[in-house]
Amino acid sequence: MATARVTFDRVFKAFRRGERHDSLRDLIPALVSRALGRVAPDDERLFWALRDVSFEVHAGEALGIIGRNGAGKSTVLKLLTRILKPTRGSCAVAGRTGALIEVAAGFHPDLTGRENVYLQGAIMGMRRGEIAARFDEIVEFSGIDAFIDTPVKRYSSGMNARLGFSIAAHLHPDVLLIDEVLAVGDLTFQEKCQSRMKRFRDEGTAIVFVSHHLPAVAQLCNQVLLLDQGAPVRLGAPGAVIREYCSGGRTSEQDEVTISTSLRSVDAVDDADDGALEVAPGDRLDLDVTVEFRRDVDRATIGIVVWDITRELYVYGASSDFVGVPPVRARQGDVRTFSFSFDANLTRGLYAIEVNVADPDQQKFLGIARGITHFQVIEHISYDGVANLYLKGREGTAVSVLRARSIHG
Amino acid sequence: MTANIGSLRRALREIVHEQLEFRELLFQMTSRDLLLRYKQTVMGVGWAVLMPLLNTAIFSVVFMRVAPVHTPVPYPLFAYCGLMVWNFTASALRFAVTSLTANTNLVTKVYFPREIFPFSAVAVSLVDYAVAATVLVAMMAYYGIAPSSAMLLLPTIIAVQVMFTAALALLLSMANLFYRDVKYLFDVALTVWMFASAVVYPVDGITGWAGTLLRANPMTAIVEAYRNVLLYGTAPDPVSFGATAALALVLLPFSWLLFHRCEFQFAENI
Repeated sequence: MATARVTFDRVFKAFRRGERHDSLRDLIPALVSRALGRVAPDDERLFWALRDVSFEVHAGEALGIIGRNGAGKSTVLKLLTRILKPTRGSCAVAGRTGALIEVAAGFHPDLTGRENVYLQGAIMGMRRGEIAARFDEIVEFSGIDAFIDTPVKRYSSGMNARLGFSIAAHLHPDVLLIDEVLAVGDLTFQEKCQSRMKRFRDEGTAIVFVSHHLPAVAQLCNQVLLLDQGAPVRLGAPGAVIREYCSGGRTSEQDEVTISTSLRSVDAVDDADDGALEVAPGDRLDLDVTVEFRRDVDRATIGIVVWDITRELYVYGASSDFVGVPPVRARQGDVRTFSFSFDANLTRGLYAIEVNVADPDQQKFLGIARGITHFQVIEHISYDGVANLYLKGREGTAVSVLRARSIHG
Repeated sequence: MTANIGSLRRALREIVHEQLEFRELLFQMTSRDLLLRYKQTVMGVGWAVLMPLLNTAIFSVVFMRVAPVHTPVPYPLFAYCGLMVWNFTASALRFAVTSLTANTNLVTKVYFPREIFPFSAVAVSLVDYAVAATVLVAMMAYYGIAPSSAMLLLPTIIAVQVMFTAALALLLSMANLFYRDVKYLFDVALTVWMFASAVVYPVDGITGWAGTLLRANPMTAIVEAYRNVLLYGTAPDPVSFGATAALALVLLPFSWLLFHRCEFQFAENI
């Protein structure tokens, strides 16, 4: 097995919390109070941004790092780019490294696009001749050739990002570190970036990709690391780790009900090994909900919410009383079951069902079960978007005619 | 002890090597700063000449009409030479002080040797220096000062001044990153320092503690050395210039190593 391009070995990183002495005016009183013993000792004020994180990335592999804000994702990249030094442990990157921590970080607003290409290229470690040789390619990829001699301060943020990414895309690095580049730019460009990154990976570049954009992570990466408050939660195959990330809070102890569910589909393609039902677009799904009440409730309704996990999108929400199920009255210890069904009019993706039990009079939730049930919509025609609207069409008929026909039968 | 020196030498070789590897970037950063400096100005690079010329005019009025001083060469030539030399160090340092803090984006987001920032500040000022020097050549021709063989020492003097300036640039940029007071203190110090160097008046006539202070100042030695080889056709004073050269030779590796050691704290402290 080839040696790893990126190694992260039991890395800990601490930051000092609280006071930062930007000026002498702050420093002197701080020194005095420290001398008088009024400040907590150093180790109590340390904040561990990373705790015992290890991973390896080989040539041709891509590692995705996901987690909530403050989980330590960007700290990992800053350690890899040598901007920060680990407090304990070691990290190393072998070969020419391209870092896209912020694609346009090196841009100077007063310089033109052309001047910035040379500057940014040099920051990324390219020689002048190399940049000159690839200049036309870079500009063409970015699609902003008309503005290449305009100062960057007049660019939109999308143009900035496009130019920044284009420069990096022509660097041919051994290791590519990427942080949230896909958050900017339009869809077409995002897709261009993604296919470019995939090409890098297939050509043997080792990639570390930090993103909130889960579809991109799922598509690009062959392993994913989930971080939570600096600690590694899980490292493994993208599907399983992303699902774990999205099923954050399960039923908690404070809930006044216990919720369990069972999801079925008559047309289920396959029951995947990790428990996510696989269905085709439009398939009917049956959901059974069992609720155990831990206290007396006068009126309770059941809410169903469908989330698109990778896009973190609230797709659909409805309540039992919308569909003619009257609120239930229950005593402590009662177990009630409900049956729901819906059509998966969705595009390809990974979805989670959230079930909640609410008291509509008191306007509060008795319990919420998040992400206990998942299903995956599998299709190969690649519809884009969120909902499947079952587009129909044919050549040579005006839209109004099509509509009139559908009204009159 | 020997092991220690050995590891220091290794560290020094490493950072010089790294700097050479990134020479392209130093060049790009310098040209960026030069472009920026003159981008929205009408005079452009003319400012590099105009500033010392204006100062020369002012000091010529003061030291020729108000309080005349005796100088070995015509006063404007004497003053322009001093101001031009001083201007290089002063503007390089003024620029270097904020070089790291003005590039927060790069310091916290991209890695490359951070010395690039103070060094490019020095390099930019060096370009201005070269432009300003053309005026000195014209003035020397006007006053009929012929070049002498002492001028062969000029590269050495320039090297000493650049090293001395670069060492201070490293220290100041780093100090200002940790404590922003440095910038303000430095502005005051720079004014005092100029008058404590023999920039606009000759050092000979001054005695007592002020004279001692003036002579101990490395900038006095550097300014005087330039005048010696350019205007008087003599060699620089071996004691004062030798001491300054030795200081520069020690200070540069020292501040560079210190800079390198603190580099990893920059992103966290900026």
